[in-house]
Amino acid sequence: MALANKQIHICDDWLTVDCSDLETIYGLCDQMRKHDCWIEVVGGLRSVAVQFDPLLLTPNEAQALFERELASIAPTSKRESSEVQLPVCYHPDFGPDQHLVADRVGIKPGDIAHWHSALKFTVTMLGFMPGFGYLQTEDTIPEIGRLLQPRQSVAAGSIGIIGHQSCVYSFDSPGGWPVIARTPAKLFDANSQAPAMLSAGQTVRFVAIDKNEFEELI
Amino acid sequence: MSLRVVKAGLQTTLQSAPFRGYRHIGVPAAGAADSLSLALANRLVGNRSSDVALEIALSGAKFSSDAPAVIALTGAHCDFQINDEVHSHHRSFLISDTDEISIGPALKGCRSYLAVSGHVAVEAVMGTRSTYQPAALGGFHGRALEDEDILPLKQLHNENYSEQSTPVQFVPSITNNMMVRVTAGPEFHRLNQEAQASLFQTSWNVDQRMSRMGLMLNGKVLKTVDSVPMQSSAVFPGVIQCPPSGIPFLLGPDAQTTGGYPRIAQVIKADRHLIGQLRPGSKVQLIKTTPEQAATIYRKKLKLLAPWLGNGQLW
Repeated sequence: MALANKQIHICDDWLTVDCSDLETIYGLCDQMRKHDCWIEVVGGLRSVAVQFDPLLLTPNEAQALFERELASIAPTSKRESSEVQLPVCYHPDFGPDQHLVADRVGIKPGDIAHWHSALKFTVTMLGFMPGFGYLQTEDTIPEIGRLLQPRQSVAAGSIGIIGHQSCVYSFDSPGGWPVIARTPAKLFDANSQAPAMLSAGQTVRFVAIDKNEFEELI
Repeated sequence: MSLRVVKAGLQTTLQSAPFRGYRHIGVPAAGAADSLSLALANRLVGNRSSDVALEIALSGAKFSSDAPAVIALTGAHCDFQINDEVHSHHRSFLISDTDEISIGPALKGCRSYLAVSGHVAVEAVMGTRSTYQPAALGGFHGRALEDEDILPLKQLHNENYSEQSTPVQFVPSITNNMMVRVTAGPEFHRLNQEAQASLFQTSWNVDQRMSRMGLMLNGKVLKTVDSVPMQSSAVFPGVIQCPPSGIPFLLGPDAQTTGGYPRIAQVIKADRHLIGQLRPGSKVQLIKTTPEQAATIYRKKLKLLAPWLGNGQLW
């Protein structure tokens, strides 16, 4: 396990351990989710946190249980990662920052769709809003950076990108990441058995669709 | 049978227990900001302690019912009238279909809880009837109540109604001068020596800008030993973060599930309900405790409440 010296910090109803890579985080989260004693299992970019009920476990007991669990984890066998294909429309109406991104990346705005849909992304974690996905790619992308002035409202489905990190907005919300496209996919549905469409560790490929297809899918 | 919202106020939402087990997909806790006041209101009207009730923040609100109903108000200190007649908090009342319930602005504390026997009959979403407004989840159409909303109530039988009041030893003191116990957060050590001491020596002042997501604490600018950006990691309600401004930010029930600022402290579970009564201008003194002590305090608190509230929980 690539756990950075098992740096565990404990509060009165949750604890967190540092991890050096995402594969370890995904594996650890899967493992911890098998146990009912962890009410929440939340992976970050370099850590995993679990929450417990201090009526059932004292912090010391929780830490002992967690450490036992860590010790029992087999050296990571490569985790099966599922792939999701996300239809996205690169019509300029849906990508207000295409010029800025194209400029930083060194391509023509018209080539955004071709460039972006060829990249392979992995969901690193969900956060910010229910179903909101943080993505990253191994491909080399110049630093794009955030907008100088965050938007009051970014439409649900918007695809933001700041460099090798990208995001998918699940709801209309404020946001500061340059937006280049929009997906008609419903990223969060409270009435569904699995409310979030994305999950950490998943591979994401963007499939370009035109505006008519977008209207049909939404 | 229904409750009519005559005047909704600034932010009146339906709140119950938090969402549970969905933080990894970005769903915050939500739920009553002051879980103790929610439980006490529900107890008075014969509901279960985490049943859904109305959480009324800062400003007043007005309601009427189209049928007899048993109601009770707890939480923030405020005027409470039924048809222009002053009534007490922490007491149940049988109101008739001609009565108007009027709740004044919070004078001390921040949030009032109005429970109705049989509770508001909205559908549970992902295990709770609580409202999380930013994603329009749960509650009444996922939003704060508006004037003229009609809330369906569960039919119930009031024939055996007998007035209840919270025994005095169970009435929490609502104050704008609070002591809140915390444990060190994972990045406490990133505060420099002076800031580590200041955290507990400063009388913190709750900023004007506050919401169910969190509130800023003014009083001292905290310095960190380095400014290395932190990787996003899990946060929970009651976490105190230290953003680059050095002005600590205390997370509330609607806080995001992950954050990128040092987590310098964590309000202990036993005291987290107090966050719901913090208002602009409230003073907060943070008191350091250990995780083990904090868990003991939580167990003791529930044990003390049990004779009145039964086996309820706080969050």
